[in-house]
Amino acid sequence: MPLLELENVVTAYGKVEALKGLTLHVEEGEIVALLGSNGAGKSTTLRTISGLIRPRSGTMRFLRQPIDRLSPGAIVKLGVAHVPERRRVFPGLTVRENILLGGSNRARASRRELETEAEQMFVVFPELKPFANVLGWKLSGGQQQMVAIARGLMAQPKLLLLDEPSLGLAPLIVQQVFQIIAGIRGHGTTVLLVEQNAHMALSIGDRGYVLETGRLVAEGNPEALWNNDEVRAAYLGGRKT
Amino acid sequence: MGIALQLLFTGLGIGSIYALVALGFVLIYRATNVVNFAQGDFAMLGAFSMVVLCIDLELPYWLGILITLVAMLLFGALFNLAVYYPLRNRGFQPVIISTIGASILLENGVLAAYGPRPQTLPGFFSSQGFSVGPIFFDSQYLLILGVTTVMVTLQYLFFERTLLGKKMQATSQDKEMASLLGIPVATMIMLTFIYSSALGGLAGILVAPILFVSVGMGSSIALKAFAASIIGGFGDVTGAIVGGLALGVVETFGAAYISVPYKDAFAFIVLVVFLLFRPQGLFGEKVAEKA
Amino acid sequence: MSGIVSSEAHKPPTEHRTGQGRGLLMVFTAAMTVVAPLLLPITAYYLNLLMQASTYTVAVLGLTIVLGYTGQINLAQAAFFGLGAYSVALGTVSFGLPFWPALFAGVVIASVAGAVLGLTSLRLGGHYLAMVTISFQQILTLVLTNWTSFTRGPDGIPGIARPIVFGFSFADNGTYLALCVGVLWVVGFCVGRLKHSKLGRAMQALRDNELAAGVVGVDTYRTKVIAFTLCALLGGLGGGLFAGGFTYISPDQFGFAESVVFLTMALLGGARSPFGAALGTALLILLPEWLRFLKVTYLAVYGGAVILLMVFMPEGIWGFLETLRERLWPPAVLPVGRVAPLPLTTQVAREDDSTILEVNQLSKHFGGLKAVDEVELSVRRNTVHALVGPNGSGKTTLLNVLSGIYKPTNGRLFFDGRAVTRLLPHERAGRGIGRTFQNVRLFTTMSVLENIIVGAERPGNEVAVGSTGVEHYALAALDFVRLAELRKQTVQSLSYGHRRLVEIARALAGSPKLLLLDEPGAGLNTVEKSELVQLLKRLKGHGLTILVIDHDMSLVEQVADHITVLNFGRRIADGPPAEVLRNPEVVAAYLGK
Repeated sequence: MPLLELENVVTAYGKVEALKGLTLHVEEGEIVALLGSNGAGKSTTLRTISGLIRPRSGTMRFLRQPIDRLSPGAIVKLGVAHVPERRRVFPGLTVRENILLGGSNRARASRRELETEAEQMFVVFPELKPFANVLGWKLSGGQQQMVAIARGLMAQPKLLLLDEPSLGLAPLIVQQVFQIIAGIRGHGTTVLLVEQNAHMALSIGDRGYVLETGRLVAEGNPEALWNNDEVRAAYLGGRKT
Repeated sequence: MGIALQLLFTGLGIGSIYALVALGFVLIYRATNVVNFAQGDFAMLGAFSMVVLCIDLELPYWLGILITLVAMLLFGALFNLAVYYPLRNRGFQPVIISTIGASILLENGVLAAYGPRPQTLPGFFSSQGFSVGPIFFDSQYLLILGVTTVMVTLQYLFFERTLLGKKMQATSQDKEMASLLGIPVATMIMLTFIYSSALGGLAGILVAPILFVSVGMGSSIALKAFAASIIGGFGDVTGAIVGGLALGVVETFGAAYISVPYKDAFAFIVLVVFLLFRPQGLFGEKVAEKA
Repeated sequence: MSGIVSSEAHKPPTEHRTGQGRGLLMVFTAAMTVVAPLLLPITAYYLNLLMQASTYTVAVLGLTIVLGYTGQINLAQAAFFGLGAYSVALGTVSFGLPFWPALFAGVVIASVAGAVLGLTSLRLGGHYLAMVTISFQQILTLVLTNWTSFTRGPDGIPGIARPIVFGFSFADNGTYLALCVGVLWVVGFCVGRLKHSKLGRAMQALRDNELAAGVVGVDTYRTKVIAFTLCALLGGLGGGLFAGGFTYISPDQFGFAESVVFLTMALLGGARSPFGAALGTALLILLPEWLRFLKVTYLAVYGGAVILLMVFMPEGIWGFLETLRERLWPPAVLPVGRVAPLPLTTQVAREDDSTILEVNQLSKHFGGLKAVDEVELSVRRNTVHALVGPNGSGKTTLLNVLSGIYKPTNGRLFFDGRAVTRLLPHERAGRGIGRTFQNVRLFTTMSVLENIIVGAERPGNEVAVGSTGVEHYALAALDFVRLAELRKQTVQSLSYGHRRLVEIARALAGSPKLLLLDEPGAGLNTVEKSELVQLLKRLKGHGLTILVIDHDMSLVEQVADHITVLNFGRRIADGPPAEVLRNPEVVAAYLGK
C-alpha cells in the first residue's frame, strides 16, 4: 500500500493553474525527489498535500485515507509533516522552543516527553547545541534549516515533506543537511523532497519526478533522470521556444 | 517632596489601570495584527457590571467580581466571533472600522439600558488606607498595584514557561507555520480575545470605585491605553506596561501642577511627541524586515 | 462625472453624445434642486432636515476623498466640522465678523489642522493614523467644553448670523437651503472630477497597491497628506455652513460619536463615490426620523450597522450597485482606430554604450541572513542585461534595492551618472527607472487604460502636460503590447498573461531610460513565454535598456547581451551569454554538483 497517492490533482491560484493534473505516489521507506525549475509547481504540490491549499479537483490519499478536504492541523496529526520553503523559523522564539513546538500535533505527548526528544535533536544536530537559547531571527540560513528539519521530525511523521532544504545554503552545509535527510529514512520516516539542486536530491533519492509548468514530464530512478537530456533542458529552464 | 511621592503613588495606581488595558490591547494586536478600538469598553463593561451586581442587586463584592470576570470571559469569545472572525482575512482597515462600530454599539447599548447619569461604587475595603510619613496609601490604589503586579507576573510565567503560552506566541509570529505544526490557530486567537477581555474587565472592576462609572469612561481609558502602547513600543508587552505606568504618572503630575480639566490632553500630547520623535517607542520592535 | 476623460477626436460619436447628455442631465437636476427650496412650500421641519443633510454631505464628501479614494482612515471628521462651525459662530458672534470671512477662516483653520495631523502621522500607517485622529477628536471636544471663556463651554453659542450678499440676506431658511444645496453641487462636482484627475488617479493607485504606486512614480506621502487636508477642508466647510444654518451650536454636536456617524454615512452609501456620500447621508438623516421609536438606542444601532456593513457590504449601497452594473453590462472590448506609435527612448544615440546603471559593492543583510553580498554590476545603455541565479540567490532582493524598496546595508548606486542610493521609489521613477513585479501589481479598481495613465504621469515624463497628451501616450503604450482593445476592461477580468503585458505597458508609459523586469516569464505557459520573448526583442530593437531578472536560461539566452549570475547573494559570473553559460560554476549552481 503506497503511503501517499496523488491522482490528477489540479490546483489553481485564482485563474492560474499551478498544477494541471498531477499523478504520483510515494511508498513507505522511500526518499522521493520532486524536481523542476522555478515555477514548475513543486512547492505548490507540497502545499496542496499539507492542506494549505485545497485542490480544485483530483484525489489525494494518505494510507488510503482521502486527505483533499482536510485542514493542515488534521493532516499533520495523521503523520504528514511539512517543512516549508524558506524554513519559517519562529523569529521570536528560541531554537529549543521552536523544536519543542514541532511536537504540537501529538496530543498525547507530555511536556516532559517532548523536552526529552528535543534534547535528542541536539544530538542529531550538534551544531545547534550552542545556540539552543538563541532567538530564531538571529540564526544564519543553515542553522535555520536545521532547526526547521528538527522541528519537522519532532512531529514523528510517517511522511516528511521537505521544501527546498538547500535554498540559500553554502555547499558544505548542504552536504550536511543532505546527510541528515538520508539518515531520516533509518528512523522510519519516508521523505518527499522538493529540490532545485537536482544533483544532491538525486544522490540520496530512490526515485524522482520532474515537473514542468504544473505537469509531470519525467519519472524514474536517479541515473535515468540524470542522463536524460530532455530533463536537463527542462531543468535549466523552459523548453527552447 | 511628600506631595511628589504621593502623586507618584497615585500616578502608578492609575497607570496600572492603563497598563492592564494596554496589555489586553497589545496581545490582540500581536495575535491578529489588528487594533481593537473597543478595548477600553471592556473596562467600561466590567465597571458597569459591578454597579449592577453590587449596588442594584446588592450582591457581596467577591461574588460581583467573580460573576463579572466570568461574564467578561464569555464576552471576549462573543466579541471574537461577531467582530473579528468574519473579517479576519479582509485586511486591517475593515476590522478597525468594525471594532469602532462595536465600541459605539457597546457604549450606546449601556447608555440605553442604564441612562446617562454617572454611577459611583463604594470602595472595596472598609478601611480607607494608612499613612506612612507624608504619604497616604489609599487601599484601593494598593489593591490595583497589587493585582496588576500579580497579573503581570502570572502572564509572564504563562507566556515564557508554559507550552500553551509558546504556542500563542508562535501563532502571533507566523500563523501559517503554526497551523502546519498542528497548533489550532483559531483557538489560540479565541483564547487571546477571551483573556484580553478579562483583562479589560478586571481593569474596570478595579477602577470603578475611583472614577465615576460612566458610559464614556471606556473611550477615555482606551485613548490612554493606545498612547501607552505607542510609548512603550507598539506591539511590545513590556512596553505596554511601562508605557501605561509612565503615562499614569505624567498625567497625575500634569493634573496637579498644570491643569485639571485638560488632564486627558496629556495622553494625546505625549502620543504626538513620541510619534514625531520616536515612533518605535521605548522598546521598539526590532523584527527584521520581511524579505 | 462618468467615464474617462477622453479626447473628443478619439471617442466614437455615440460615446461622446452620451457623455454630453449625461452632463446636461446633471446640470438640469442641480438647477432644479437649488431652485426648489425657493419655490416650493417646505415646512420648517423638513427645511432643517435638508439643511442638515446638505451640510453633512459636504463633510462626508471629505471622507470620500480620504477614505474612498485614498484608503486612509479619518476618525476626526466631526472635529474638523466643529472647527468650521465654531469659527463661524465665534467669528460672527464674539468677533463681529461678517459670515463669509468667518466661514473662510473656518475652512482655513480646519485645513491647517488637517495638514498638521496628516504630516505628523501619515508616515506611520493605518492604525497610528486612526489613533491620532481619535485623540485629536477627543482633545477638541475637551477644549470646546472646558475653555468656557472663549468657546462658551457646554452652553453653546446662539444667535449666529446668516450671510448677506450685496444686501441680500439669507435669513430665510428656504434661501439658505438653496445656498447649501448650491455649494453641495459644486463640491460634489469637484470631488467627482477629482476621481478622474491626475491627483485622483494617484490616490486610487495608492489605495490599491501602495508599493506599486510608489515605484510607478506616485509620491505616496504627499498624496496622503493632500487627501487628508482636503478632507479636513470639506469638514470645515460643511461645519461652517451648518452653524449658519442652525444659528445655534454646542460642543456635543461635534464629538467622536458624530465622527462615527459621518463614517457610517460614507460606508453605507459607498465611500468610493460622491453619489454614495449623498445617498448614505440622506438615508442616515431620514432613517432616524422614521425610526423615531428607537430614540436613545439609535446610536447603538449605528454601531451595529457599521459592523454589519463591513462584513456584508463593504462597498456600500452605491458600490454594490456599481458592481452589479459591471457584472450585467461589462465594459466592451473596443476596437481602436489609428494609434500613433509609442516613441521609445529616442534621446540616446544607438552607438552610445556608456554605463547607465552602476552598482558598487552592494550588500543587503536581514539580521543574520546575507541576501546580497558585495555585488558589483554595470548595465550599459542600449543593451539587454540579464541577472540570473537559482532560487534564493538574491536577485529579487537586489532588484528591490535598485527600486528603492529596501535600503542597502552597504554599497552605492549610480544611475545616469548620478548617485541614487538614497532616493525614494517615486524619485527613482522620476529619474527614468521603470519596473515590473514578479507577482504582477496592478491597480485593481482601475481600468486597464487608467493603470497605464498612472505610469505615464510619473514625475519628469516629457510627455505633453495636458490630459489628452497623457491619455494618447498611455494608449500608445498599450498598443505596443498589442492590447489596445482591452483598454476599458477591469484588471480582474484579464488573464494572467495579459496582466503581465499591461504591467509592462504601464512601465513603458513612463518613458523609462532603464526598464527593470522582475521574472517576466513567471507563470506563463510556453506560448505566452514565446510571445514575451518577441516583445523583449522588439523593445531591444527600439533601443530600450533593459535589466531582466529570470531563472529561465533559455528565455534569457535569446534576448540578453550580457549576463550576471548570482548565487548565495554573491556574483559568480559576469559576461556575454556564450561565456557565462559554459562557466562550470554556473552550471553547478543550477544543477548542483
